[in-house]
Amino acid sequence: MIFITAVFALGLRSLEVKTIFSDLFPKTHPFVQAYKDHPNFGNPLTVTMMVKRTDGKDIYTAETMEKVWQMSRDIDLVPGVDHDQIVSVATGKARYTVLTADGIYSNPIMDEKAPTTPEELAEVRRRVNESPVVRSFLVSQDGTAAIINATFIERLVDYGVVFDGVQEMIKKYEDGQHKVYVAGWPTLTGWAYHFGADTIKIFAVTLSLMFIFLLIAMRNTAGVLTPVLVSTFSTIWGFGFVGWIHDPVEPLLMVVPLLLIARCFSHSVQATERYYELLAEIGDKRKAAEMSLAVMVAPGTLGIFTDVCGLLLVALAPIPALERFAIFTGFWALMLVPTSVIMTPVLLSLLPAPKNVERLVGHSRESGFINKFLNQALTRMALLSTGKNAKVTAGVFVLLTILSLFMLTRLQVGNPVEGSNLLRYDSEFNTAVRAINQSFPGVMTLEVIFEGKKGRIVRQSDALTTMRTLQRCLESQARPPTATLSFADYAPEANRLFNGGNPKWSPLDRDDKSVSAASSALMLGTSPVAFLHIADFEQKNATVSLWYANNKQDTVDAALSDARKCIDQVGIEHENFRIRLASGSIALQQSINDTVDKYQWYIMAGINLVIAIGCTLVYRSFAAALILLVPVNLANFMLTAFMVLMGMGLDVNSLPILAIGIGVGIDYGIYMLSRLCEEYKDTQHMGDAIKLSLVTCGKAILFTALLMTIGIVPWYFLSELKFLSDMGLLLVVVMTINMFLALILVPLLVYLFKPKFVSSEHQLLSESVDGLLDAPAHEVANKLDA
Amino acid sequence: MHIRKFDHDYSRRAFLAKAGTMAGAGILAPLWPTIANSADISKVYPDELMSIDAYTKGKVKTGDMITAANVDIVKDLLPPITYIEIKEMGRKIKIVPTTKDVTRLFPADYLEATLRNAGKAKFDTNNNVVNADGKPWIGGNPFPDAKTALEAIANGTLSWGRADNAIYVLHDTDIGPDGKIAYEYDLVWIEENTTGRIGPGGPYMKGHEDKLRYNTVFFTQPTDVSGSAFLSTWYNDQRKFPELLGFVPAFKRVRKFPTNQRFEPMVPGFTFYLSDAWGNGDPMLTWGNFKVIERRPMLGAQSQTWNGDDPNWNAPVHGGPQNQSFIDTNMELCPECLVVEAEPIGYPRAPVGKKRLWIDVRNQLFIGYHTYDRRGALFKSFEPQFGLYEKGNIKDMTGKQTTWSWSRCLAHDIQSNRLSRYNQNKEIPGGFKSGRNVDGMYEKFMTEQAIGRLGA
Repeated sequence: MIFITAVFALGLRSLEVKTIFSDLFPKTHPFVQAYKDHPNFGNPLTVTMMVKRTDGKDIYTAETMEKVWQMSRDIDLVPGVDHDQIVSVATGKARYTVLTADGIYSNPIMDEKAPTTPEELAEVRRRVNESPVVRSFLVSQDGTAAIINATFIERLVDYGVVFDGVQEMIKKYEDGQHKVYVAGWPTLTGWAYHFGADTIKIFAVTLSLMFIFLLIAMRNTAGVLTPVLVSTFSTIWGFGFVGWIHDPVEPLLMVVPLLLIARCFSHSVQATERYYELLAEIGDKRKAAEMSLAVMVAPGTLGIFTDVCGLLLVALAPIPALERFAIFTGFWALMLVPTSVIMTPVLLSLLPAPKNVERLVGHSRESGFINKFLNQALTRMALLSTGKNAKVTAGVFVLLTILSLFMLTRLQVGNPVEGSNLLRYDSEFNTAVRAINQSFPGVMTLEVIFEGKKGRIVRQSDALTTMRTLQRCLESQARPPTATLSFADYAPEANRLFNGGNPKWSPLDRDDKSVSAASSALMLGTSPVAFLHIADFEQKNATVSLWYANNKQDTVDAALSDARKCIDQVGIEHENFRIRLASGSIALQQSINDTVDKYQWYIMAGINLVIAIGCTLVYRSFAAALILLVPVNLANFMLTAFMVLMGMGLDVNSLPILAIGIGVGIDYGIYMLSRLCEEYKDTQHMGDAIKLSLVTCGKAILFTALLMTIGIVPWYFLSELKFLSDMGLLLVVVMTINMFLALILVPLLVYLFKPKFVSSEHQLLSESVDGLLDAPAHEVANKLDA
Repeated sequence: MHIRKFDHDYSRRAFLAKAGTMAGAGILAPLWPTIANSADISKVYPDELMSIDAYTKGKVKTGDMITAANVDIVKDLLPPITYIEIKEMGRKIKIVPTTKDVTRLFPADYLEATLRNAGKAKFDTNNNVVNADGKPWIGGNPFPDAKTALEAIANGTLSWGRADNAIYVLHDTDIGPDGKIAYEYDLVWIEENTTGRIGPGGPYMKGHEDKLRYNTVFFTQPTDVSGSAFLSTWYNDQRKFPELLGFVPAFKRVRKFPTNQRFEPMVPGFTFYLSDAWGNGDPMLTWGNFKVIERRPMLGAQSQTWNGDDPNWNAPVHGGPQNQSFIDTNMELCPECLVVEAEPIGYPRAPVGKKRLWIDVRNQLFIGYHTYDRRGALFKSFEPQFGLYEKGNIKDMTGKQTTWSWSRCLAHDIQSNRLSRYNQNKEIPGGFKSGRNVDGMYEKFMTEQAIGRLGA
């Protein structure tokens, strides 16, 4: 075991923890494929900074102009920036055009320095007002805000470095009259990295809490050290494995490894509790350890099997980050069999026998307040599932089920926020996105892609005419975009200017020669990178960018519906290009929602099927599988009801929880059901069996559930990443519901339906020690070998 | 007999000793008096600076190919971006013998003018180069043995192509980060010096004495840019920005560009900016903070660079993701290069923090040019190839002299990883042919009306 651990430990050298944002999107979705084929559209590498006057004045003051000038220069110093793609009212890219008798002058709006005198400031204001694109996209309509856009080179960008550089700029340039808002995907990634760095701290806090809880509960070396050691082994195996296979670990999903550590604790504690009971009964630590291994290996392994199924089936959703996550956590969960189920009794047999066994198992008078309280609580809980109360309890569950199913119908897919659902509503990033959306067309777009088949399509009449028709169609819908932009908006302006300036020259003749002339005139003396937001470098592909007031689901649905309708009108396939829907942050958001909506059912069905088969085989009863599946599915219904009540939608944050909820939640039921069968065989009385099971196994379930809650709940409070926070909260909720259902609903179902398998002698699962306690040592050994 | 004094490290120590001393070129003897006497540099430098074999102690031999496998041996002889191209992008460079006969590094008449006018140049109170009589410069390198960065940059700025005028027809291939061709152009680059002329008719073009040069660039292919043209008018006063105008043939309109717009490509796809031309694409006094960094040997493409046996002088290509990023290159060990830097003080919006030039002291031509961004990171490289137009028995003549010119150059933006390679051709579509010292160039190409006619 130590050798294997050492081998896995070597893999830790290659462990990489990083977020690959594109891996958070479903790779098979047509929107994601469109995004991957045309990654430059929708400004995924652009940092958008907005300088906003907060004192009611406009930006045409010397101090604000100086800030915009200096910020445009300072962002150029951030490593990885594309020096040709820094655009603001202060850069040479923002131009105004003057027609004179001897030619066309296209000059920067600001001269060689930021304006300082009233005359210079007035001149800049005049130039801005004469430049429609600058007026729409670089200076707000009310004149109180200015935008600085900086695009980074993907090969060179280090999001952490960009984030630090931009944060320094915010500190430097914010004052009593100016607020700086920063948005854009590199900033979002920077925030994810920034808060992701807290993961280690949160890990430390939660592990410490779990350790302290264990210490207080066990108060003996073996009871504390064993779960800690087996969890350490399993952690090294899990992380070492991903190191060896060179798959980066997604920090946004880090709560799940912690869950697995907690699961390892949980399995170990279950086995330890059983060991204590046996030790109290027979007094020999070695024999107690062997027997606890024999009786716990089957339910433990089945529990882990369900964990593994739950985790692996997450991979059904074709989201690369989830696929990697499924492999990583599925393997780790599987390795809990050797590291936890098998190692726990081995370590217990090697470590000194605890002196407080009687107290721990609750036989002693000094068993302590907690034990007494738990015994009483669990005994009363048993009353809910037995006797006259059983039917009332059943009625309550039926009611709860109906209510949950009703709420399920109101569950929304998607969690639309202005900005990113990875972060909290009041995070700096989401606040910035809302502020920018308020003053400008915004940062969230839907990109309708014109994919070239032949030639440079922005120099072709059909492409530009189609773009214009498409924009006009969309703008005339009931819920039009707040702004649209394409190459077709620039070319007519070039046509007008080069033809002498009269607006009657704006419309382009519908022939390639005229369009090519206007496009060439536009591009003369300019790098194509200045137009990368609407056409790629080679100008073979282009996009129509659509901005919307918000990205709420009904807005997105309407936008996509309108886009599809208008695309049908202009035609998808053209001789030299085809139109593809869609890219941009709105499309990517929708791709996740579509995938979650579709695959949640596949994943749930898959887990139910696998677990049904597994449990039917090991219990040799389909009824047993049903008894176990009913509570975990009800737990999920109740979880979704909770989400509806909390105003949460189903999204990529919650998708894994549904799968893990069933996989992990069913453990409690398995332990409970197995114990119940054994107690029934002893007592031949269902009520007594349920009561005994609850005060023994139920206590262990309660204890481990509490332990896992302690391990996960701090994420909800400590993580600034809403993604992690949501996952932490939902995991705690689903595990808690599962716990209560295992303690109440599983016994209730057994009590009400009295299935035959409960008294069957032919289960593969058994926590019975009868045959082991009475047999001679060599027979015990043989049984254990078997 | 091995003279111990001239051991392997001798030249390095000699260069170090010269650092910051305003010393002239040459190690064993002063370079320029020797050139004036014999044009042979054999007695000026030790063997290790004239033979790659000696310099690398036999690890690299003349005729060897420098590849990723052995480039580390000569890493100190290459500009950083060239090193990266070889080490990481599959570029290969063949080593040819060092040119010891300096007459092969110049157009003959330009060398004669340089020697004839040696010692007559000076800086006026504004730091412009003038003749001894205070008038504009009269031709040849004003500072053949440049000791300061400004002197070295003046040599490169006052005469680009070392002819009174030149018409270069060339094919441009712009390569994307994926190694594929993004754009291709055929274009004509024309220079006409109005002062510092070396041909018959005196040093100044009559009526244009306040100017330094006219420079026209126009495109003949592809169709959508055919006839698009730029005309840049340089003043003698190197503090003034050149006038820059463009002609858009489809509209028959002239577009005036901001005079200090020097860091933009002329047409989509170009990695080369006006500022990069000849390593000295801007008036020299619009830059400042000139510095000599060091003197050192370098590898440079100074000979055997012309592919005269190809009907249109095209050269084979290799390397990069699609095996077409780099033109085949021969380089020789240049015994002594002056490494100088300058900053674009006249361009408040420049994305460039500084430029660095590696200038071969034998002919005062840059063999390497890098710009760095404002953070100091490598930004762009512009690498020329010069030499006599002769290959075996094939020669191209300018008058009675074998043509000396540039043959190819490579611009590489290492940050976006886009490249532009330019090959000087014999002829391009439209019937334009390369040539030097051709009559009537000004009237034909160098006026606003003329560039309008080009697109007609």
